[in-house]
Amino acid sequence: MKSLSKFIIVITVVLFANNSVKAQNGLEMNVNYNVGLPTAGSKDYVTKPSFRGFTGSLDYAITSQLRVGLGIGFNDYYQKYPRQVYNGSDGAISAVLSNSIQQTPLIAHINYTITKTGFIRPYVGAGAGVNFISFDQYLGEFDNPSTKAKAIVQGEAGVFIPVSRYSSTAVKIGGTYNFAPFNEFGTSNLNSWGVQAGIRFPLH
Amino acid sequence: MNRNIKSTTLCFLAIGFLVLNGCKKDPLKNLSNDDSRIYISNYDSAANFASYKTFSISDSALVIQDNHFLGRVLGTYETNVISQLKQIMQQRGYTLVDSSAKPDLAINISEVINTQTTIFSYDDYWDSYGYYYDPGYYGYPGYGYYSPYSYGSYTVASAALEVDLLDLKNATADGNKITAIWVGLARGEDVFNNNNVTTEISTLFAQSPYLKSN
Repeated sequence: MKSLSKFIIVITVVLFANNSVKAQNGLEMNVNYNVGLPTAGSKDYVTKPSFRGFTGSLDYAITSQLRVGLGIGFNDYYQKYPRQVYNGSDGAISAVLSNSIQQTPLIAHINYTITKTGFIRPYVGAGAGVNFISFDQYLGEFDNPSTKAKAIVQGEAGVFIPVSRYSSTAVKIGGTYNFAPFNEFGTSNLNSWGVQAGIRFPLH
Repeated sequence: MNRNIKSTTLCFLAIGFLVLNGCKKDPLKNLSNDDSRIYISNYDSAANFASYKTFSISDSALVIQDNHFLGRVLGTYETNVISQLKQIMQQRGYTLVDSSAKPDLAINISEVINTQTTIFSYDDYWDSYGYYYDPGYYGYPGYGYYSPYSYGSYTVASAALEVDLLDLKNATADGNKITAIWVGLARGEDVFNNNNVTTEISTLFAQSPYLKSN
């Protein structure tokens, strides 16, 4: 998490050095802290939210309202369950069980800002891509790691709050819903909500 | 412009992957030695545990390291394991007899140690079982052993206590085959610590309530 914090600080410094850039078409970067909330099939393995996460995207502003881009995200889900006995057909295992799941979606997306003006500018978006999933279940200290690449579809909504009238730089507060099919280890999906806050700034 | 977009995208992805590498919580760092241990019990579902009345137990434990038989050991830990097993088996209704008294059941104890971080399988343990334990000790010379259990492979250094409950009563009827009707395995950190003997044996038996003579 320290490296993530440093990364966000560096990006913030770069952002405010770019305040003179006027709102225009071109490349922009989004960097967000992301809290992942497991839902649906994900809850078979973890019920606690993931506070270890971020999202980022590199977007091209086709117009002042429409952007397309490529995004990457990361969330680390972890939960430890107290010792209990798991019964099988011809035996049993007593163990402390820990589930560790990392999701790294790589998503092509489109984003539309609904209003051109105003202090708060709502947006909606959608994307699809590949979800790189690292899934590891520990019985005691013994694990069974697995890595999968699956499809992912994402919907998003939120608001941009511009920091300046003359720049496309804006604070972003939003949420995503991630449809993440899995079909492994007895669960059909690793769907999740994402709640995020971050910043968008133009690149030279 | 296209070249700029391409190089910026690559930088963006590279930074992203570097950052996320440091963000994973390591589950092993959140486990105590007690948490690290697992207890596995397997049993032959065809066995009628109430049909056995007497048992005998090995007088020491075998040490098998990296698939090699190192010898027998009888220290404080092994003495306590044997004592606990005698006690709990008698609580479950079985009568302790000498190995020469034709017991219905035999209990063998093994310490299986893997010091290499390479693929290791307990199948090897059973492949060599007849070499480790002479069936003649229990009065069945020339018999073979049979185990329907397999624990799979793992890739970490580890130690395990294995307790095998063997069916002597039906060995001849089974075609001169001594079947392991119950196997208990404790694996993980500090497994050979004397302070953990009671927990290890009682946990294995607690999750095997069918293992009783009455």
